[in-house]
Amino acid sequence: MLAEKYTTKELMAVCCAHEIKNGEVVFVGIGLPMMGALVAYNTHAKDTVFVYEGGGVGAVSRRVPWSIADNPTAENALMIHEMWRLFGDAQSGYIHRGIVGGAQIDKYGNLNTTVIIGSKTYESPAIRLPGSGGGNDICSSCGETTIVMQLEKGKFLNKVDYITSPGHLTGPGARKRAGLVGNGPTSVITQKCIFRFDDETKEMYLDGLFPNVTVDEIKSLVEWDLKVAPNIKVVTTPRVDEVDIIHRLDPKGIMLGAKSEGEENFEEFFQIMKQAYESVELDL
Amino acid sequence: MKSSNDKQISLKEAVKKYTPHGSSITFGGLGARDPFAVAFEIIRQGIKDLTLIASSSMDIANILIGAGCIRKVEGAYIWIGSVGSGLNYRRAVEKGIPLKLEVEEYSNYSASLRFLAGSMNIPFMATRSMLGSDIPTYNQKIKVIADPYNGEPVTLVPAANPDVAFIHVQKADVSGNGQIWGILMNDPTISRAAKSVVITCEEIVSTREIRKMSNLTAIPSYCVDAVIQVPFCSHPMWTAGYYWCDLPFRRNFMLNNKSQEDFEKWLKEWVIDTGDWQGYLDKLGQDRLDKLVKLEHDNYKIPEIR
Repeated sequence: MLAEKYTTKELMAVCCAHEIKNGEVVFVGIGLPMMGALVAYNTHAKDTVFVYEGGGVGAVSRRVPWSIADNPTAENALMIHEMWRLFGDAQSGYIHRGIVGGAQIDKYGNLNTTVIIGSKTYESPAIRLPGSGGGNDICSSCGETTIVMQLEKGKFLNKVDYITSPGHLTGPGARKRAGLVGNGPTSVITQKCIFRFDDETKEMYLDGLFPNVTVDEIKSLVEWDLKVAPNIKVVTTPRVDEVDIIHRLDPKGIMLGAKSEGEENFEEFFQIMKQAYESVELDL
Repeated sequence: MKSSNDKQISLKEAVKKYTPHGSSITFGGLGARDPFAVAFEIIRQGIKDLTLIASSSMDIANILIGAGCIRKVEGAYIWIGSVGSGLNYRRAVEKGIPLKLEVEEYSNYSASLRFLAGSMNIPFMATRSMLGSDIPTYNQKIKVIADPYNGEPVTLVPAANPDVAFIHVQKADVSGNGQIWGILMNDPTISRAAKSVVITCEEIVSTREIRKMSNLTAIPSYCVDAVIQVPFCSHPMWTAGYYWCDLPFRRNFMLNNKSQEDFEKWLKEWVIDTGDWQGYLDKLGQDRLDKLVKLEHDNYKIPEIR
């Protein structure tokens, strides 16, 4: 049954979940990808093994993780590696898919999460961003990559300020020439639409629109001359059970970007967390 | 060669002895078992000019940067996860507040491999990460070469041997055999790569207890210089089996670090005026700590080993 009420972030998480095939080994990056992974695991992808950069493999937890290595990434895990071992497994081809976020992206899916230089320098940039984290490693070596990020002016550019994580680099054959082992990005999920990549040109094109969004709106936010699929679809809204999973596993709405409103009350937090995990039954 | 007798000292002594001005330092854990008690003691002792070598680091890195202890970071990620933005990091890199911060950039994998090389006493490790990206463009220490056997492109990163590693574990004996539950990060590896290793633990246990489940020993005593029992050492982060993440505390910290001025007020209240770790725990209050313990125990308890 389709949900009547949902937010665009919830739809993004659900679209991310739908990219995941059952039985894959999936490397999950921070933020909405984690929510997408949990929705997938709790619906169609029960045989999927999710791995987190901190080294947790196959964790099953009652709440969404808030970083790559906090306890929910290890809870009821199948196994715990050191971080370097898990990335080695990606490099050896054991990990089918990586899901990452990005701040800036170009038409080949190259990502920037390091610096927005603007008119300044790398050492003293206009805006310093977090850095690669595991993003470069995931995009370099996982079988394929799913990217989840906001579509806004200034993000989808002809050229990013700094290539942190490789998409298709400069186009067909470029990844192989550079020596990369993974196949690169296959989709980009935003709060307005879904992009996919052309098999031949390796360029991003518009494949699916979120409800009530127009092609023109998307084109106005993308700096390059965006290609549009001839059979462009409207993305289906989330199901009730999918939205329910998100609410139960992220009761504080952190993954969905809930901002802090003034001083946080510890007692409220304790009650919310307690109720949240008491309402989740794990199927181990 | 390090001896294996009783290595317990106080936290104050450990920080003083192993972290002189200008040291290179690394911390174990990430999002769990991050040794906040150690970071706060470093700030109290006014230690300066540190180089932080990390794969990723979150609140601890930001707090130390904001307190003016760090002049260089070698790492892949200095932010606050999904919980907030690395505002101290941004101020330091963008504006030089409180000090100009130099950044030597890697990816998580390649940063981890630096420790792996360091742990085995070899000068570098190879990886297929970072090829085609701008990370090597802006970091001359990363070399892209044709590998000597097959001629294929590979990236080389130099070994990391920090002067000191501080690692918080669940259980340790007095000679420094440290056992870890939950996420490992690169802790077994950094314990070999660092020249000095200080482990803090929730509980001191007998060596007999360690021997019951040797698979859990992540850090062998022969790598360890000092052992300190510091309960709640990683508050406000998790320590698996002991206490939950104190998210409101972290969010309040972030509300109070939007400017250097606000951050320094927060620092004075929580780090300087509390005097020491016990003073900090007293300020949090036993009720809050008990609730964090309950939240964790309801979800995960360390199994008893017979």
